[in-house]
Order: sequence, then structure tokens, then C-alpha cells
Amino acid sequence: MLSLSGLSKSYAGKVALAPATLTFADHSFTCIVGKSGCGKTTLLRLIAGLEAPSAGTIALTGTARRIGIVFQEPRLMPWLTVAQNIAFADSAAPHEDPARLQKLLQQLELTEAASLYPRQLSGGMAQRVSLGRTLYYDPDIILMDEPFSALDYFTRRSLQLTLLQLYAATRKTILFVTHDVEEAVLLGDRVLVMASGAIQEQISINLPQPRQAVQVEIQSLRQRILVALSERSSS
Amino acid sequence: MRAFKNGLLLPLGLLLFWYLVTALHLFSPYLLPSPGTTLQSLGELCASGALPHHLAISLERVFSGFLLSCLAAIPLGILCGRSRAFESYCWPLLEFLRHVPPLACIPLIILWTGIGEASKLTIIFLASFFPLFLNTYSGIRNCDPKLLEVGRSLNFSESTQVRHIQLPAALDAIAVGLQLSLGYSWRALIGAELIAASAGIGYLILDAEQMSRPDIVLVGMLCIGIIGSLIDSIFLNVLNRLLPWRQKAGDAHA
Repeated sequence: MLSLSGLSKSYAGKVALAPATLTFADHSFTCIVGKSGCGKTTLLRLIAGLEAPSAGTIALTGTARRIGIVFQEPRLMPWLTVAQNIAFADSAAPHEDPARLQKLLQQLELTEAASLYPRQLSGGMAQRVSLGRTLYYDPDIILMDEPFSALDYFTRRSLQLTLLQLYAATRKTILFVTHDVEEAVLLGDRVLVMASGAIQEQISINLPQPRQAVQVEIQSLRQRILVALSERSSS
Repeated sequence: MRAFKNGLLLPLGLLLFWYLVTALHLFSPYLLPSPGTTLQSLGELCASGALPHHLAISLERVFSGFLLSCLAAIPLGILCGRSRAFESYCWPLLEFLRHVPPLACIPLIILWTGIGEASKLTIIFLASFFPLFLNTYSGIRNCDPKLLEVGRSLNFSESTQVRHIQLPAALDAIAVGLQLSLGYSWRALIGAELIAASAGIGYLILDAEQMSRPDIVLVGMLCIGIIGSLIDSIFLNVLNRLLPWRQKAGDAHA
């Protein structure tokens, strides 16, 4: 389990993240939704250890030990092929596992692109590779920072479905940051609504996957979050 | 292929111009020999073995100087790029040396290293060091921080970051530095062979000047230009094979 206690971050006196106390249960899929600049990426970067908090603590308890992150941009190494980029996660202590690599390539529909270089990939394929690299790292908790935001609707939907399949197969804990309210309610089993650097509302979603955007429940949750966000921005 | 054809137009035009100017006797042959005379001299120099001999010696000097440059510039560039402390010690001196043209150093180089091979190698080394050093330095220093962040997120140690991210990311810049440096080595050759040389293309040109043989001067100049371009294209080809991701993205997905 991942627990945050009074975690906060300020830049030159300006609060980016107000003290947040939260827990993320093992195997949960949490979406954090909010407008640009609301502090959601800061929260993720603090959890990933990429930035030091101004105050508060982050604790991993139980079996969770390792945290991986999928960035907004694929951030692939231009000098490595698709397969090498995925196995790149292992560079610190290489222990080749061709079977696992092949399985991942297959799951991410990248088998035929295995020997291509990043410059030869479309945005969607590059983001699949980025996801593959994080999965190959085999973290217990995966942080995802608006990973599909730069993709067109159909590619985004296809990647969302791939992510859900991988989640169902691995049951890794996922924290998914997005500014797309529909994406949040389609993917998460819990949605945290963020505004002005603070968690404003937590909504649990107990709908089976795969969910459809046209479902009445999805529409009503989407509406509820949108209202919460617009109220916060106008207040 | 089209670019190659386009690129041939100007040299062919110049050749034609050269031919016409000399055929119409607009200049004395002592000032500008005809293409025919130059070609004849080229044939004679090749047949006598003089040109291959001078070329081999010049090439050996160029590659030795270039190799010395690589051995010094790449590690120093990496160290300066990685460590701000190391950079703060080295930079002022390097900056000073960078602005002193190698030719200005010739008197001192002769004084210190004599008129043997060492002085020639020193000139080539000085000319080719900075392009390679500066490119290596900027390749390391300007490594995309987002890529370094990927390493941090994967718990890489400092040394793993350097080996697996910073160095490979700098390879493109180092490749450009190598290419520039090789060109500078070749350009510095004449300067190096000004120093009491008894062989080499530079010597061939200087000797021809003293013997009033502009045809041989032209043969020397043509050799330097053609072989320089040839070395550059071979070098680029090898680099593209060694660093396949550098190739132009003609096959990118839509």
C-alpha cells in the first residue's frame, strides 16, 4: 500500500500541492483528474521521487516496493530499437529475459515493430513502448502522467483498452493522472478530483470494465466531476 | 541522385571556364596552366610514384594527428561535460588556446619539438582538437534532462546514467565533432608541412611553387580537395552504419 501523509510542495513560496494525506490500496486503479496547473503532476513526481517534498512523507507498506512511471511524452532513447527501449529498464542490472520481452511486445502489439527506431514510430506506438519499458521494470506501483493526452481519440481509446487488459492481467497498482474527465471515469475504480493544489473530492466507481462513454452512469459521473471542477475554478 | 547531378554542375562549369580561359590564352600558362597540362602532370606524378608517395605520407600524418586528437579531446570533453568543478579548472586555459591559431604556434612548436614528425603532428593535433572537444562537451552537457529523468525513475546509479544515457545521447554530437575534426586535420596539413618537410602533399605544393610549376600546385590542390571529400563521405558512411538511428527519417510512419 502507498500512503501519503501531509505531503506538500511549494515553489518559491507558491503552493503547488497543499498537504495531502491519501492511501492507495494494492491493486487499485486511481485516476487523478484536474485542470492544468492544479498540482496533479507535482503529486505524481513527488511519489516517483523525482522531486523532494516541502513537507510530509511517502510510505510503502506491504508487498509494494518498486515504483515506475510513464511520462506524458514517450521519452524513448533514440539510439535504441523498440525491443531495446523496453529492455532498457533493465540496464542497471541486466538479466536478459527474452520470453518476458516477447510476451510484452505481443501484449502491446509491438512484435512487428521490435526492430524499429523511435523516429520510425507513430505517437501511439511510441507511447506503447514507453508503457512497455515501465512494465519491463516490473514495478508494484505504476504512475502515469497524462500518457495518452497527445494522442488522437481512436489511438487513445485503443491504448486505454490495452492498459485495462494489462491491469486485469497484472493487477498492479495504478495512479493515472489525466485532465480528461471521461478518461478518468472510464478507467479508474476511484477518481480524485484536484483543484488549486488540493484534493477536492474522492469518488469511487464500481462499474465493470470495459466501460463505455455512452453509459448513463459514466455520463452522470462525468457531469458530477465537471460540475465540481467548474465550481472550484469559479470560487 | 538528383542532388549529385546538381552538385556536378558547378564543378563542370568551372572546368569548362578554366578550359576556355586557357584555350583563349587570356592568362599566361605560368599563371594558369590549362586543364590538359594539369592532367598530364597528374599522370606523370602518378606514373613516377611521386604522388602516391607524398599522399601516403600526408595521410599518415593526418590520421595520426586525428587519432591523437580523439584520444585527448573525447575524454576531456566527457570530463568537462560531466563535472563543473573539472570544467572550472580547465576552461580558461582551453578557451585561451582555442583562440590561438595553430599557425601562430609554429615558431614555438619548432623550437620545442624540432623539425621532425612531432612538430607536424602537433599542428594537426591543435587544429583538430577543439571541434571534437567542444562537440563532445556540448553533447554531454546538453543531454536531454527528460531522458536523464527516465534513468532516475528506473533507479539508475550515476555511472549507469552516464553509460546508458549520457554517453549514447552524446554520440550524435561526437560524430559531428569527429567529422569536423577530420576535416580540420586535413586542412591543417599544408600548415604542418610548411615546417621543413621533405615529403607530403603540402611539401609537393610548396616545392612546385618554388620551381614555378603551377600545374603541380593545381594537382596538389585537387588531390587535397578530392581526397578530403572522399574521406569525409567514407567517414559519414561508416558513421551511419555504426549509428543507424542517425539516418534521415525517410521511412517514418505517418
